Amino acid sequence: MLALVVSHLLVALVLSLVSMRHSRAIYPVAALPPTAALCWALAHADSVLAGSPPVTRMNWSATLGLEFAFRLDTLALVMTLLVSGIGVLVLLYCRWYFGTPSGDAKRSASLLLAFAGVMFGLVLADDLLTLYVFWELTTICSFLLVGQSGVSRESRRASLQALLVTTLGGLVMLLGFIVLGESSGTYRISELAADPPDGAAVAVATGLILVGAFTKSAQVPFHNWLPAAMVAPTPISAYLHAASMVKAGVFLVARLTPVLSEVSYLPVVTAVFGLVTMFLGGWRALREHDLKLLLAYGTVSQLGFLMVLAGSGSYTGELALAGMLLAHGAFKATLFLVIGIVDHQTGTRDIRELSGLGRRMPWVTSVAVLAAMSMAGVPPTIGFVAKEAAFETYLGTGAVAAVEAGIVAGSVLTVAYTARLLFGCFASKRGAVPTEAHPVPAGMLLPPAVTALACLVLGVAYPLTDELAATYAERAAGSSGEYHLGLWHGFNQPLVFSAVTLFAGLTLAAHNARLNLLRSRLPRPLDAQRGYERIMGSLERLAVGVTGRVQVGSLPTYLGIILLAVLVVPGSVLLMRVTPIEQLRWWDNVLQLPLALVILVAAAGVVRATRRITAVLLVGVIGYGIGGMFIVGGGPDLALTQFLVETLTLIAFVLVLRRLPARFTETPSARRVRLPKVLVSLAGGVFVGFAALIFSSARDTPSRVSAEYLEHAEEGTSATNVVNAIIVDFRAFDTVGELSVLAVTATGVASLVLSSRSARRRKHARSDWRQLSATARPTAGEHGERGSA
Amino acid sequence: MGVVARTGVPDRHSEVLAQQSTDMPPIAYAAVAPVLIVLVAACLGVLVEAFVPRRQRWAVQVALSLLTVVCAGAALIRHAREINTGGTTFADTVAVGPATLFLWGTLLALALGAILLIADRSIEPGGAFVAETNAASGGTASRHPADAPGAASAEVMDRASASVVGMRTEVFPLVLFSLGGMMVFCAANDLLTMFVALEVLSLPLYLLCGLARRRRLLSQEAAVKYFLLGAFASAFFLYGLALLYGYAGSVKFSDIADATAGSLRSDTLLFAGLGLVVMGLLFKGSVGPFHLWTPDVYHGAPTAVTGFMAACTKVAAFGGLLRLLHVAFRASSWEWHWVLWSVAVLSMVIGVVSGLTQRDLKRMIAYSSIAHAGFLMVGAITLTERGLSATLFYLLAYGFTTLAVFGTIGLVRTSEGEATHLSDWAGLAKRSPVVATVFTFLLLALAGIPATSGFMGKFAVFSAAFSAGMGPLVVIALLASALAAFIYLRVIVLMFFNDPAPDGPTVSVPGAFTTAAITLGVVVTLLLGLVPMLALDWASVGGFVS
Repeated sequence: MLALVVSHLLVALVLSLVSMRHSRAIYPVAALPPTAALCWALAHADSVLAGSPPVTRMNWSATLGLEFAFRLDTLALVMTLLVSGIGVLVLLYCRWYFGTPSGDAKRSASLLLAFAGVMFGLVLADDLLTLYVFWELTTICSFLLVGQSGVSRESRRASLQALLVTTLGGLVMLLGFIVLGESSGTYRISELAADPPDGAAVAVATGLILVGAFTKSAQVPFHNWLPAAMVAPTPISAYLHAASMVKAGVFLVARLTPVLSEVSYLPVVTAVFGLVTMFLGGWRALREHDLKLLLAYGTVSQLGFLMVLAGSGSYTGELALAGMLLAHGAFKATLFLVIGIVDHQTGTRDIRELSGLGRRMPWVTSVAVLAAMSMAGVPPTIGFVAKEAAFETYLGTGAVAAVEAGIVAGSVLTVAYTARLLFGCFASKRGAVPTEAHPVPAGMLLPPAVTALACLVLGVAYPLTDELAATYAERAAGSSGEYHLGLWHGFNQPLVFSAVTLFAGLTLAAHNARLNLLRSRLPRPLDAQRGYERIMGSLERLAVGVTGRVQVGSLPTYLGIILLAVLVVPGSVLLMRVTPIEQLRWWDNVLQLPLALVILVAAAGVVRATRRITAVLLVGVIGYGIGGMFIVGGGPDLALTQFLVETLTLIAFVLVLRRLPARFTETPSARRVRLPKVLVSLAGGVFVGFAALIFSSARDTPSRVSAEYLEHAEEGTSATNVVNAIIVDFRAFDTVGELSVLAVTATGVASLVLSSRSARRRKHARSDWRQLSATARPTAGEHGERGSA
Repeated sequence: MGVVARTGVPDRHSEVLAQQSTDMPPIAYAAVAPVLIVLVAACLGVLVEAFVPRRQRWAVQVALSLLTVVCAGAALIRHAREINTGGTTFADTVAVGPATLFLWGTLLALALGAILLIADRSIEPGGAFVAETNAASGGTASRHPADAPGAASAEVMDRASASVVGMRTEVFPLVLFSLGGMMVFCAANDLLTMFVALEVLSLPLYLLCGLARRRRLLSQEAAVKYFLLGAFASAFFLYGLALLYGYAGSVKFSDIADATAGSLRSDTLLFAGLGLVVMGLLFKGSVGPFHLWTPDVYHGAPTAVTGFMAACTKVAAFGGLLRLLHVAFRASSWEWHWVLWSVAVLSMVIGVVSGLTQRDLKRMIAYSSIAHAGFLMVGAITLTERGLSATLFYLLAYGFTTLAVFGTIGLVRTSEGEATHLSDWAGLAKRSPVVATVFTFLLLALAGIPATSGFMGKFAVFSAAFSAGMGPLVVIALLASALAAFIYLRVIVLMFFNDPAPDGPTVSVPGAFTTAAITLGVVVTLLLGLVPMLALDWASVGGFVS
């Protein structure tokens, strides 16, 4: 099975390489892999129905526990019929549709084939993660297919929305998969179905997975992306947005119904969302003038219907689902392809412009009528058969009856927009000029004719359909029932509902014009599109606000934030675990007080200094003050080092400062930010000082090293001063290291001195040229003057 | 000074008073050969700079650098095949184990790509780095361009002469020094070695950031910001190091681990010290809230250097962090893990939310790197073997993707230099389908879409974190990556759906070097997405040794 999936992708790759030259001939070639997949699935149909599905597993990543697991069970078989069967027909149709060798045509073949491949992989997947991988790949393929044509602002917005909504849904679904898989210990769907997991984690996972399914299958409130995606070429819409991809959500729910049988809220949620979607989609379809948009909203409506059935979990419901999946795939593909023909041959698909096509295209019309019958649920089509089963499912009282009423109402709308579609597209309208149309090539009509015939055959030959559907329903629901798909079950409630539906729907269609007037006056309380835009807008505003405040590009702000983080994390640790400081004395020697005062004053002065040299000198004062502390504390050698280093740094600073402007160039900060700056830096200083106090008191044992040094200084080095002994004996290597550091510093200082001298020499040598360039670069010239003056 | 002459001290004190033990500690040359090769070659590079004639320098430096990385890689592979247990060397200051070897391999491979990007002279004639301005040729050279604030305008005039002189080739030894520092950083077995390595890797980076030929002021500002904030971070690291020494009486990881395992010592020292040390590492890894330098520096630095920083520095910083947490602080994880939890969440949220607003590609990728740092944190704080290997894999995958991203960004240019504003990228697919497709693939990898290494990395990290009982964090991480996907998808839509501006940027035909680097990145991204076992098996051979 993996080989079949991969072969799709490989052929797609090869086609994308050779498509530059043979743009038309590649479509029949592209149809080969789906044909092979279809034949392979049909060849295994017997064993599938007998309950021994073919299985393929391949280890992908043992460390991660990833594997490719494929399993052709009944549901997969039904979906394969749709995916591969309609895939072949759409590819053949494309050969005629993309007549002129355009860029679209070249890319479409390989992309469509790749899409067929990943969709095939998706329906076969027996592993949650395998399923997720193909799921996201379908999103990408769909994006590329939709996005290749049209550069209008509208289509850009549409494709971004489609991509966003489905990708976000997919990631949420992945989260659900991970929760489900980790909590039950396996990602294999067949194992999960055999032993349905239970518990709070599974309930949470179900919610997350449903988000993914709802986004992909365009359920309210995520339904907007589907009509927006209709900017794609019609065959692509037919395949992706009617027959296969949008069914992935329904398929997922159907696939996981046995797994999630312990989750009690699943049927309720799917029924509520499904019914709302079904009604809303049908309602909108009655308003559209673009045939394709009309069909798109019809698809939304049908997907809601399918979602209700998929979540039902009952035998009859799943039976109806299988029938409805086949029916919807067949009639929706037919209608899209027919509209593609109309659009292609007349140049328009607006109901208000089309007239008299029924006479001009009799064959096309009859194909469309056949499919429309199935959509409306007219016997003897498969649509009627499946709808009967659906009506049968929800016979009852209470909540169940409410669902039944919802389905009937939705079906009335379905009949109405079906009639509107047929009439609007093909009928001769009073006062309208008959539309000009080019003759339809037989090759173009063939694919929709095949699917239209399927609508009829699947209905008439209902025992065959029933065998497939009933096998699936038994396995999915875990029980078998009395009901079977059929054209005639006697005079019963479902038949009445069917008749009522047809009658009411036709009446509604007849009065649609008046209804539209009424509808335009109704307020639009809940517009999902506006909600989407509002959410995106507020997200944007939030992001701009946060970034604008934090990421201002100012170094003091950055430093302040880092200091704050230091104060918050280690600072809070310090406060929480603070221990009383023992033996805290304010001073050891009175001399420390004036020294400390000098250091503090110098530190305050540094901050206030406006001239660079003042600041450097004051920093020097701090250093010397600390050196003084060392002297008072009894470490003259340490103080000597400190003085040395301080002097050296000062000299280096002064040498550098000669090249810089005398004053700090930054403007004094505004009063508003000055206080926070002062507070943060004070807090930072207090934290470090306080921490030093605590940390030095936290040491509970005197250093072992010091003791050893003291013990061995006299005896080992014959030195009476332990510091001397450390510097020249115990840590002699360190001293060498320090010396080399000093040497490097000295080199640096020397080079600074030398370079300033050579610069002065060059100044004399090039004074002529510099006078010239000084006019061109006044700033650089000035700084140079002042620096070397 | 007569150090060796007086050897009257008994042997038992030798551990403290090391004055008479003049024999060198044994060095496992085979194990550290890659680092030695890189550092020696860096020194050679300095000599080349001093003695080779200017016109031949570029060729010599490029050949030397590439050869170095390849040789180091060969030495690494040779060593990795021989042993798997690992050990310490240089008197226990450097520990080379399986995980370290993996990090070294990652660093070397990424550095190879980065050097290729840096070496390119075909996109920007004469290379992307500032030319030697005191050159004898042409009298237009300014006197001291680097420190005079008004020098940027003078630089523009220099362009003509710059292409004659060629690019500044100090870049290569600087990169090699930095690389050497990164490698030591991932192998350091005590905090002092780690600090030294931190400085060795950082100082060249500060310089590299300021070397851009175009938009000099931006580049120099970036360098100064990076340097100042980096100096602060290093100071914090050093302060924390001192505290930890006060706590454990040693700077060795293993001694700190022993001390944390069971002692009645003051926890205040431990946690404050750990906090400060980790802060220094988080700064290098650009993890929020220590990320503030990232957008400005990524934006200002020459794009090839940004690629090097984004890929290699992240690997090194997280390599060091992983080592520190795994080896030294595992036992005390219960007390500190909530802090790193919040850091991870903060980083993801900051990266994603701020990334949404960016109109400049380089800044956008910078924010994305902050978000990715958050994802990496999720893996780093699991402290399990699985989490470790997942994080290592993530680093490898992310590094290659981001390197190729920056390589591609460098291709789209106007006469002003690189066109990094988003509006410049509108309709790129019409102008150059190949570049747009490659960039789309890379963005999908950053978003974590299946069939890319990004998905594998994310999946590995998140599932490891989930099984380590960090469910809530995984939920946040997934939501963040869902939002982050928006950032990338928007760019894809922009490239494919918008009309190109009539006077928009052109797409340069990349030279052999850039092509090689981008191809390397794309191929690795794809390969790791399809066959993750290639790297994952290696990443899960074993952990760190000490």
